[in-house]
Amino acid sequence: MKLPKYILINLASGTVSDYPISQELYEKYLGGKALAARLLFDLMPVGVKALSADNVIIINTSPMNGTGAPSSSRFNMTFKNVMTNGIASSNCGGQFGVMLKASGYDGIILKGGAESPSYIEILDGDVSIKSAEHLWGMDAEKVQEEFNPHWGKLVIGPAGENGVHYAAAVSGERVAGRCGAGAVLGAKNIKAIVAFGTNRVELYDKEKFDVYNRKFIDFLRTHPMTGNALPRYGSAGLLNNANASHALPTKNFSRGQYEKHSKITGETLADTVLTRNSGCVSCPIRCERRVMVNGKEVKGPEYETVGLFGSNIEIDDLDFINVVNFEADILGMDSISLGGTIAFAMELQEKGMADFGLHFGSKEGILEAIRDIAYGRGAAKELGLGSKLLAEKYGGKEFAVNAKGLELAAYEPRRSVGMGLGYATSNRGGCHLNGGYVALIETVGVVSVDTQTPKGKAELGIFFQNMIEAASSAGFCLFTSMAIIPGFLSQLGPAHPITRFVSKFLITVRPILGALWGMMPWVLPFNWMYLLPYTQSLKLATGMPMTSGKFLQIGERCFNTERLFNLREGLTSADDSLCDRLTKVPQDPSRADTVVPLAKMLPRYYKVRGWDKNGVPTPRKLKKLGIDIKI
Amino acid sequence: MAYFITEDCIGCTLCARSCPVEAIAGKLKERHVINPKRCVECGVCGNVCNNAAILNSKGEKAVKIPKAEWKKPIVDKELCSACAICVHACGKDCLSISLPQFRGDIKVFAYLANEKQCVSCGLCASYCPLHAITMKGGEQK
Repeated sequence: MKLPKYILINLASGTVSDYPISQELYEKYLGGKALAARLLFDLMPVGVKALSADNVIIINTSPMNGTGAPSSSRFNMTFKNVMTNGIASSNCGGQFGVMLKASGYDGIILKGGAESPSYIEILDGDVSIKSAEHLWGMDAEKVQEEFNPHWGKLVIGPAGENGVHYAAAVSGERVAGRCGAGAVLGAKNIKAIVAFGTNRVELYDKEKFDVYNRKFIDFLRTHPMTGNALPRYGSAGLLNNANASHALPTKNFSRGQYEKHSKITGETLADTVLTRNSGCVSCPIRCERRVMVNGKEVKGPEYETVGLFGSNIEIDDLDFINVVNFEADILGMDSISLGGTIAFAMELQEKGMADFGLHFGSKEGILEAIRDIAYGRGAAKELGLGSKLLAEKYGGKEFAVNAKGLELAAYEPRRSVGMGLGYATSNRGGCHLNGGYVALIETVGVVSVDTQTPKGKAELGIFFQNMIEAASSAGFCLFTSMAIIPGFLSQLGPAHPITRFVSKFLITVRPILGALWGMMPWVLPFNWMYLLPYTQSLKLATGMPMTSGKFLQIGERCFNTERLFNLREGLTSADDSLCDRLTKVPQDPSRADTVVPLAKMLPRYYKVRGWDKNGVPTPRKLKKLGIDIKI
Repeated sequence: MAYFITEDCIGCTLCARSCPVEAIAGKLKERHVINPKRCVECGVCGNVCNNAAILNSKGEKAVKIPKAEWKKPIVDKELCSACAICVHACGKDCLSISLPQFRGDIKVFAYLANEKQCVSCGLCASYCPLHAITMKGGEQK
């Protein structure tokens, strides 16, 4: 078995050295965010300031990256989270990942900071650190034009240079948005990392892999979600259903329905401003939107951007949302945290607690504020801190919609309580994906699991959290996992008796789901495409013995490792929380159950996870998972 | 093993300009050099060299092939999933994903948009995970 090749680049001294990965570590953590979490644990001293050159960034690919498997071009960035001070992982579909691997490396680890603005060039395995004085200050689009168009590029925009806490790293038009990856690169004085090479991934059994791969791609192309809904309407196609189930955040998460939602749905986008669909390299799903901004075709917005710059600030103008999305990308900012923070600033304004000149329902001043945030100018500069730190200064903690400091994605958790539990327990903060994305089976119309009951949510959430961690570590885009939900269910619709029966069934089998984790990996000792398409693919590509049970256990191991990192950094179970608006104020005043019953769900969650009452993984659990680190 | 340029090279730059992965460096009228780390052994340099100055990976002299006889990628539209691996693998920007025929058309595919630029390296076909690309045409007469 070929082991992944990692290098450690010390930016302070300019030295480059190999960082060997043992076979044991490789088999336990695969790659991507899982392996990176383990490495970060070893490499990062406790208590380092996140927004400083001392932060360590691991940028890595995964075993499936570059194999030709569907939707496998993604790469991961792991570092100490600027927003939460816990662990951060940010995933991106840009070409950089494929090119990093083609240049000969599976991952690079950046330690220390460069003395002056620099960029890192990795060509055919040769690493050099060069001056980026001439690139500093450029936006993410312009700086990429300075390099060979065939190279893979990972750059930061002005926001990263100026230390905006949620600054993103940009590769092509794709963005590693969450947690402040751009800010940490900026703190290290790194403007760009470029890579090129022609190394090919050696497949363990190419013949069988090709046959399986064709089946896997066909499976995705014929599934109603990945073969029709996503390519046709993009992720914004979920908006209509989210609104119908009162889960579309509106006016800084104070409501769950937006009366003008029909103007900003994925369907409206497809019927009006969409020029065509597109996708990351290697992806047959092609959910990316292409739209026109200033006479140029650019990447269109995702569901989260539409929700947070649409309903959540009461804007019903798709053209405006496209412009904001484009500006956020080229300035290098996470549109989720940016949108969430702007909504928070608007509510502060409405309540007379602060004056940033931003008002719900008004587009006035938003674009200027976004540019000011990125360039660190004027009053809007403070908005670059994110809603948690703003609330500490101006008050309004009860409606600062973040978890651990990271703003929530566009799913209103009071009508999707499983998602609420996910947000609270997610290791990187208010993230729907790290949180298990239970909203997919609760509110966006794929399956209609009861949105309000706390029953079974811990079990379902844990299942999806672990599955998502494992899929990420293998290198697959998480949209491929939508195909795991049987296609006929989405065709029947959430109201159909069979879909409702399946939804009830998922809640009923919760004791079994919960007990599963104690029996992994011995339970599910097989690979079956319709259960988990990844495992067979992984087995044929790497030659690693792999079963569905083993795979899910890798996900669980990753989640626990990330949790241990957070605990070591001083986060506690008190940080597994949401703001009062979501846990104490019912969304529908006539229904007391329209809150996130976190206090009810958390103890069960900890128990099923095998953690103690304080949310600390028990030694027994760690031993079972083979995690040999202590805190 | 990578391709190699012998001292017969007159420095015409044709191979450097044709190489799909930019693996060849050299100045006009000076002997060129192939970067062995980057060479993908596609044979394009040998196909274009007028002076038979290229040795292939087996150490044999490569023979020039007239442009009219070069094979071109033909994409099986039905099989293609428009994953764009070929588009990105192409160092000459020859391939594109087709435009939708009508609003809402998602049945798009890769095609040879820029035939003149194609150097017949076959990288697209070798990268295609579905084997939907075959190099065809230009059979030797």
